[in-house]
Amino acid sequence: MGQQARMIEFSGVNKWFGPLHVLQDISLTVGKGEVVVVCGPSGSGKSTLIRCVNGLEPFEKGRLVVDGTDLSNRRALRALRMEVGFVFQSFNLYPHKTALENVTLAPIHVRGLSRAEAEARGRALLEKVGLGDRMGNYPHQLSGGQQQRVAIARSLCMQPKVMLFDEPTSALDPEMINEVLDVMVGLAREGMTMMVVTHEMGFARKVADRVIFMDHGAIVETAPPETFFTAPVHARTRDFLGKILHH
Amino acid sequence: MFWFYAERILGYWPVLLKGLGMTLGLSLLSLLIGAAIGFAFGIIRAGGNRWLSRALGIYIDLFRGTPFLVQVFIVFFILPAAGIELSAFAAGVVALSNLAACFIGEIVAAGLKAVPQGQREAALASGMTPAQQMRLVLMPQALRIVTPSLVGQFVLLIKDSSVVSAIGLLDLTRAGWMIVQSVPQGLMVFGTVGLGYFLICYPLIHLSRRLERRGQDALL
Repeated sequence: MGQQARMIEFSGVNKWFGPLHVLQDISLTVGKGEVVVVCGPSGSGKSTLIRCVNGLEPFEKGRLVVDGTDLSNRRALRALRMEVGFVFQSFNLYPHKTALENVTLAPIHVRGLSRAEAEARGRALLEKVGLGDRMGNYPHQLSGGQQQRVAIARSLCMQPKVMLFDEPTSALDPEMINEVLDVMVGLAREGMTMMVVTHEMGFARKVADRVIFMDHGAIVETAPPETFFTAPVHARTRDFLGKILHH
Repeated sequence: MFWFYAERILGYWPVLLKGLGMTLGLSLLSLLIGAAIGFAFGIIRAGGNRWLSRALGIYIDLFRGTPFLVQVFIVFFILPAAGIELSAFAAGVVALSNLAACFIGEIVAAGLKAVPQGQREAALASGMTPAQQMRLVLMPQALRIVTPSLVGQFVLLIKDSSVVSAIGLLDLTRAGWMIVQSVPQGLMVFGTVGLGYFLICYPLIHLSRRLERRGQDALL
């Protein structure tokens, strides 16, 4: 991987919540256009890991560089966040704004786009995620799957260089999971750099370049999906896969 | 007998009207000033600076925990001793605005704290400045939650304004005191005064209730 191609680079990142060592010596590089899936049992630190990437979570030790910006530079953080999209487990759409307003708010006020430009961009994205007929709806009028697709469109409307997904389908009813995953698969195939915390192993098989298994705050295993699912090296990985794949 | 006194009381309509105007003017002006300061208070109280928030909390509790009449006297009689000369009207506005700011501050802070943490995170993650997060995402949602309480607070403010008659301002209550000097029918005179307050406050109480119902629908 050349210097140019590095998008996210963790080196020796450590984080503690009081006495709890939630990230232990994380070193990880995600290249431009790469799709990395992070999995692991709850409490393993995977959400904390991904929340570090856009500075939602501070860390105590180590270095993290995203798109050439060192995260220790707090003043550069806001500029970086414009380039990093984040999709939450609980969607976090703005309840007082319509779908289209949710999508165009940051592009207008943060990017400085004109309303017309932002709306053109927003409409195209809502069409793309299959919600062309829902632009005027408020979040509470949409299903969970629809809300999460609006949330993805909201992040994309900033034209980010990286997209982070923190368990994007965990809060959804089973029949709505695929409509969200389909959008994410499409995005991966277009070459978006993505870090995805998920237990959707079908998604990992389909589009991930690498799958990372975390446990107790440390990266236990990193492998391409075919190796990861067929020949995991570590006993803990096998144990975890056995639990989530056998039902 | 009743009609005799009723006619005499109503004969004082210019005084009553003047008092009503003073009560309304004082309340409205204090509401505007109090709201401006109160929103700033609320943002500080709900904000990240713990020491600033605590210091302000003590200041607010000081005024929430003392009788308004005492506060009016302090502003009117004690500030001049410190070299700050105030007219009765200015003193009334200062005391009333300050009280309104304290109550509105706590209401706004409660509203801001009721907005889910994920909303701030979403706004933050999209690159908004703290001011943008407040203006575009947090405050509109907090306002929706607290508007009924704010309208209710305005009703309290109008009623509290009657206390300023104690420093000689001719408001609706003082108009009652003046009339009762020549019409010795306390019940009827102050019944009329009370009716005056009620006529202003009742629509507001109604509005607050309607907003509350609408707010509940909007939050579904």
